[in-house]
Amino acid sequence: MKGTTKYDALVVGSGIGGMESALKLGDMGYKVLVVEKDASVGGKMILLSKVFPTLDCASCISTPKMAATIHHPNIDVLTYAEVDGIRANGDGTYRARITQRPKFIDEAACTGCRQCEMACNVAVPDEFNADLVSRRAAYIAFPQAVPKKAVIDRAGISPCTGACPAGIKAHGYVARVRSGEYEQAFDLVLEATPLVGSLGRACYAPCESECTRGELEGPLPIRRLKRFIADAHYGRGRDGDPEAVAIEQNGKKVAVVGSGPAGLTAALQLARKGYGVTILEAAEQAGGMLRLGIPAYRLPNEVIDHDISNVTALGVEIRTGVRVDDPAGLKDDGFDAVLVATGTHKAVRLRVPGEELDGVRSALTFLADVKLGKDVGLSGKKVLVVGGGNVAIDAARSARRLGAASVDQVSLECCEEMPAHDFEVEEARAEGITLHDGWGIDHFEGDGRLQAAEIKVCTCVFDPDGRFHPEYDETQRDIIACDVVIVAAGMRADTETFGLETNGDHTLVADPGTLQTAVPHIFAAGDVVTGPTMITTAVGQGRRAAFMIDRYLQGQVLDPGLFDEPLPVVDKDTVLARQQVYDRREPLESNAVMRAAPTDFEETEGPMTEDEAFLGAARCLDCGVCSECHACVDVCPADAIKLDDRPVAIEAEVGTVVLATGFNLFPADAKPQYGYGRFKNVITGMQMDRLLAPTRPYNAVLRPSDGKVPDNIAYIMCTGSRDETVDNPLCSKICCMYSVKQNQLIMGALPLADVTVYYIDVRSVGKGYDEFYQQARDMGCNFVKGRVSGITETEEGNLTLRYEDIENGGALAEAEHDLVVLAVGVQPSRGVAELFAGNGDALALDDHYYVGEVDEDLDPGRTNLPGVFVAGAAAGAKDIPDSILHAGAAVAQAAAHLERARVADEAKAKVPS
Amino acid sequence: MTQATETRRPVIRDAVPGRRDVREVVRDEQVMRRRILEVLAGGPMTVPEIAAAVERPTHEVMFWVMGLRKYGWVAEIKEVDDDGYYRYQVVEREGS
Repeated sequence: MKGTTKYDALVVGSGIGGMESALKLGDMGYKVLVVEKDASVGGKMILLSKVFPTLDCASCISTPKMAATIHHPNIDVLTYAEVDGIRANGDGTYRARITQRPKFIDEAACTGCRQCEMACNVAVPDEFNADLVSRRAAYIAFPQAVPKKAVIDRAGISPCTGACPAGIKAHGYVARVRSGEYEQAFDLVLEATPLVGSLGRACYAPCESECTRGELEGPLPIRRLKRFIADAHYGRGRDGDPEAVAIEQNGKKVAVVGSGPAGLTAALQLARKGYGVTILEAAEQAGGMLRLGIPAYRLPNEVIDHDISNVTALGVEIRTGVRVDDPAGLKDDGFDAVLVATGTHKAVRLRVPGEELDGVRSALTFLADVKLGKDVGLSGKKVLVVGGGNVAIDAARSARRLGAASVDQVSLECCEEMPAHDFEVEEARAEGITLHDGWGIDHFEGDGRLQAAEIKVCTCVFDPDGRFHPEYDETQRDIIACDVVIVAAGMRADTETFGLETNGDHTLVADPGTLQTAVPHIFAAGDVVTGPTMITTAVGQGRRAAFMIDRYLQGQVLDPGLFDEPLPVVDKDTVLARQQVYDRREPLESNAVMRAAPTDFEETEGPMTEDEAFLGAARCLDCGVCSECHACVDVCPADAIKLDDRPVAIEAEVGTVVLATGFNLFPADAKPQYGYGRFKNVITGMQMDRLLAPTRPYNAVLRPSDGKVPDNIAYIMCTGSRDETVDNPLCSKICCMYSVKQNQLIMGALPLADVTVYYIDVRSVGKGYDEFYQQARDMGCNFVKGRVSGITETEEGNLTLRYEDIENGGALAEAEHDLVVLAVGVQPSRGVAELFAGNGDALALDDHYYVGEVDEDLDPGRTNLPGVFVAGAAAGAKDIPDSILHAGAAVAQAAAHLERARVADEAKAKVPS
Repeated sequence: MTQATETRRPVIRDAVPGRRDVREVVRDEQVMRRRILEVLAGGPMTVPEIAAAVERPTHEVMFWVMGLRKYGWVAEIKEVDDDGYYRYQVVEREGS
């Protein structure tokens, strides 16, 4: 349903009042639109055990009405939808703005089998069971839900996932680890990139910077969890991807030039789609900067080999030692498309005197030589590293491991401003590297062979526009003796021979959304487009390029908006506000071992134990609710999961509006003297109704504190009603009778249990109500006239009630029970009046904030707005029969309004113009 | 009819037995599943017995056991013991 639609009537809410209104109007032949905010119609009635005074099963009498509402030929129902506003058209009709919230399920395909729910890895309190048990982020509201379709509770993208440029579902794999599903966690990362192990070690983890838990004690160890799952996977000898054999080839070939993070990721994605992919790598070994730029103490070669095996297992061929100078020419070799992902492997020179001296070398070639096992001859040498970035730190720490007599590092930036991460600077210092921050190189000295560097104080690195433009204090200088200088002054793309358009910094010009170059069949991704950046950014570019190349080769439009299209990131404050308090859970400390004089390239950071991984993952706050772990996708037999579902705005022209928004239950914790929320065995009437219902959260009526079958249950009547202290002087009308109903059901379910009701007076007004009350007394229920002033909890979890024993002289008395039920009253449903904000006339509420009726006695159901009517408990506390009766009155009013309008229209049509 | 979201900063405190937010307790169900199934591997137990074995408060264990029951990991033995407690046992699942 999209765009503007036309109905005779809009019914807001689908509790018993809403369903009755819709059914009656539908039966009269009117076209009705019902909008329900929950995932099922039925309101509160369907959640009850039985109804009073007949003790009919609430489900048994609700579900036929629910099904009739959904299937009525004149009724359309929008569940999981919100009315945003209702505007008067001025002629007695209205225009409603409605948002259909995304369910992330293809309702036509969903069979209601609950497989998604059973597999889901996120547990949240089940509001349909009054928070007595959990539900899952993927869930069917309750067993009798109509429609019986799943929805996925998604508040947005979790901040960790939203921060990952690679598009890795960080929250998802954390949730998988938390559930002990390590292989599935690995597969989830593998969906995005083959570099599970490499990212688990060398990623700078922007996800952790955005982790909401970071606002509390500190972020989750998200990167190390990725390493954990990679280690677990590779440790079991699970190299390669088992899906390889199932991929059907499409006959088209793609060349990927470069085997770094962007190239490997794109190759994996394209191979999965059936392309014949060949990677052409200029270096002797595949891996790009992972292989040649990151030292083994951070990223061992074996891990890169494992990651690459994920790509080659799909049939991707990697040809090393093949330098491509003319990407366009690869078409002649039979490639239908080319991805250039050659990175930034060319060193930037310092351009200072003496740079040509023997002994001055670039950090890039130095690190590559070290990683490839070449002898770089640093033993006993005095080494000076120039640069303040991560590459410089890597070079310095590598030199330290290769036996250098000393390692000094010069950085233009002062320590706090260095591009290298703080932890890397700290680790470098811990390993004995002497940092000269805020200094620049003036020149190198030597007689053919390097002997020293003269440095000078750097006063400013960037100009006011943020461009690199260092300024120096020429009077402050120093000399550092050195045998070897390793320059890490930057790196750039090597694109001169490609014949493609380039930017001033030698990066390739490509459309930022499609990554297509000016030559249609050539795409470019990674550092060769962006300049030097993070691994995850290159991975994200690789994914995007593969997506676009696929569309290009399929003859589809290259629309950047189609790639990923994530939901908005959920606001951290919104997440934190879900709980009032958080138990302190300290973050896992780094286990990196720092040695003052390391002599080998052993990894500095150790693996996580399984317990550490479990505890680390357990700190996750499930910010987005759904973690995007794809467990539901994996198990859904109907392929009904639709994670790309999005909100749909709907406008409806309606002839009349029936407000059937029901009521809210009094929040029991607003009477703190009763201890609700603190004392586990103090529950509400709705919670007891759930415990008594056939679809109950427990296997029987049990105490929430310990699962014991209660044998001495107390009811406290008028909790939050007839009570000026909570601003509710009204009687809620239903509490006495639902308590009496529960008394009888308890005595049936627990024949040995004592039931005591503490009351002011019992209001049993209605056909058969008083007899029903007397029946409870006759069954043995003990009614004590007296208001309870407070409750205390014993060590065993029992509750001691203090009350005024009115029938025995008004003395204060105490009694102990093992379960207390608060017969909470009702409150008006808030927010109804706001639906009409912006109209000339506001919807009038009564003195107690229920929807106001112009004349409750003589004109029930009619509000102050022409054509707007109220049905059921939205107008005031009512039991089920009264709600149905009241809905009938509202329907009659609505029908009369529609008929008056019709007659007026017909009369107007008959008048000759 | 959305409720306004409170943006008041939450309080962090050291764990107080019995006072954890329901949402936090429920969130731990996925983590506690393994431990509870491990202890139940030795035979059926009541909620207080499970709580003693996993060293967590009984009301929190109640959430987890009932969650596991709802999703088919454990089931009750029909008879109540003399102290008024049901015992729960592991349900054999496909692939478990």
